[in-house]
Amino acid sequence: MEKFPKYIIAAIIGIAMLSSCVERQDFDQYDDISITPTIEGSVLFVESPERIINQVVGVNFYSQDFNFDAFSEDFIAERVLDGIVTYEVENTTSKELDITVEFLDVADNVLDTENFSIDPAPTAILRREIAYGGISGRSIDILSNTSSIRVSALNLGDNSSVSNLPDPKITLKSSAQLRIRLK
Amino acid sequence: MRNFHLVFVTLFWGCSSLFAQNKQLLYDFTEIPQALMLNPGMQTTYKWYAGIPALSGFSFQAGTSGITIHDIFADDGVDINDKIRARAVYGMGINDELSGTYQIELLSGGFRGKNQPTNFYSFGIYHEGDAIGYWPKDLAILAYEGNADQLGREFDLSHLKTRGEILNVFHFGVNRQINKNLTLGARAKIYSGIVDFNSTSNDGYFLTTPGQRNLLANTLEADMRLRTSGINEIREVLDDDTVDDGAGIGRIVTKRGFFGGDLGLGIDVGFSYHFNEQTVITGSLLDVGFLYHSGDVRSFTLKGSATVEGVEIILPDALADPNADFWQDLVDEIEALVPFEENNNAYITFRPTKLYTSVRYNFGKPLQSKEDCNCNYKPSARRSSSIQYANSVGGQLYAINRPRGPQTALSAFYQRRFGNVLALKSTYTIDKFSLTNIGLGISFQAGPVNFYAMADNLLSYKNIADSHYASFQLGLNIISWGKN
Repeated sequence: MEKFPKYIIAAIIGIAMLSSCVERQDFDQYDDISITPTIEGSVLFVESPERIINQVVGVNFYSQDFNFDAFSEDFIAERVLDGIVTYEVENTTSKELDITVEFLDVADNVLDTENFSIDPAPTAILRREIAYGGISGRSIDILSNTSSIRVSALNLGDNSSVSNLPDPKITLKSSAQLRIRLK
Repeated sequence: MRNFHLVFVTLFWGCSSLFAQNKQLLYDFTEIPQALMLNPGMQTTYKWYAGIPALSGFSFQAGTSGITIHDIFADDGVDINDKIRARAVYGMGINDELSGTYQIELLSGGFRGKNQPTNFYSFGIYHEGDAIGYWPKDLAILAYEGNADQLGREFDLSHLKTRGEILNVFHFGVNRQINKNLTLGARAKIYSGIVDFNSTSNDGYFLTTPGQRNLLANTLEADMRLRTSGINEIREVLDDDTVDDGAGIGRIVTKRGFFGGDLGLGIDVGFSYHFNEQTVITGSLLDVGFLYHSGDVRSFTLKGSATVEGVEIILPDALADPNADFWQDLVDEIEALVPFEENNNAYITFRPTKLYTSVRYNFGKPLQSKEDCNCNYKPSARRSSSIQYANSVGGQLYAINRPRGPQTALSAFYQRRFGNVLALKSTYTIDKFSLTNIGLGISFQAGPVNFYAMADNLLSYKNIADSHYASFQLGLNIISWGKN
């Protein structure tokens, strides 16, 4: 019994000594946390075989507006910082073609236009990257306000020739890479 | 809504930041009645005890096996984003967890049988919260970095694994000395579930690859499920501006905690066996039971498979309907292929079962028994268990079943008794969270009043912000050994 105080005091002092320190923390760093993932996916794929082009009388063989809300969804529109839209146009037809892609807002105002002139086959795949946001890119508001996409295609060749390549067609491929701010 | 998110996040992270349920300091601390909750077959010498309501047992354990507060918020001049990327997003693995429990005894008592004095009965009610969340590594990387430039990488959806519950437990236990060496015990439990959430059976992946037609293909293969019970009622209260949030939630918790919510059954069993006069082995299996969640159930599933390559316009098919909404068609198609559905189906969860075993060697000067000298219920002249030695040393093993398999902890302990007034127990524990966990517990007996306090992982208190684990337990009881 006489040993109580000694043990108790030793234990208390030991705990007190051990429990007395907390290294300096800076919780203001929370404000500096930046979570900005970059997401990517395909946007639009358009394909037209040469026989369809030949069937349409006139230069403008195709024009269509597509509802496209991916960019203007609140989650994206309110958070997107910058992005890159990539296009690939491949022409295996016998005609010179002109493809125009336009981004439209909800009132069908044209926000941005991209034009592709591509020679008859054989010709290389045309690849183009358009940057939005950042210092050198086009306004990021274009993407966040885009509600639909208009694709127009002009046949600058004839309506009778047929390419000697298998399955001749014009294809437009596109994808988008967007950096969004989650925090 | 904002309040709901706040409460839910607080509940989840509050519970999740707790630590595993190992109570190595309290286990087999025979001076403290609450140790019976860890081994219903513990050797008991009390005639009766009564816990001070709401004060008899309180335990709180908090920690993390991965990063600490210090790892992220240390004032070290390193960019916090670099620290998050290196130490959390890429530094933690899917077996790193935030988990734990808290427990508050609402009512606690025990008494020795009058006609069958070898029996000791204990009963009570306690409130418990338990949760675990494993680090969802792939989902964290996806959220932090995105899927860009990650062609071919499967983000594993099964990394999401979490569960948690808040409940009241009503229990009644019988502890019986079979002979002078063996004591057995069992405890029946009725669980009254208040809140439950679990998402432990997830599977699937998210993958980005070069597309077959377009530039990229995004594939989602999902079989995910989140089941909740009791959360919706709280959400409705928080959304209802005409109801005071605190009073409303209090009503729900009270109602559901006292048989108005989910119900379940469970059992604890345990034993103590004297190999010889000074060597004791013990073991217990706790919370072998289940909860049937049938009230206020709200569950969500995401199941299916879809690959998307953007809006596809292929002529001449696309010319068939000039008014076609290809974007909406795509959205509808994805929702049909990978439907996000809600249901109210009842479900069963199993409690996190715990296992304790120990071996103890007693030595030193035998102490005077606290028991009544007229121990006429003793089956033999003098029970081994009635002899208290000044010192005990031994080892303990703890295991708990978790969504990613059992977790174990190994402890060595030394216990010192100073008469019948004071007992100290120190432990050294190794587990997946710490290799330097030293704990200290004290039980102080002032007449019939018993007070105990315990703290764990004391070395980490050098810098508590860098601690993976901090816990404490304390309680207040009235104990009688039948002496006048």
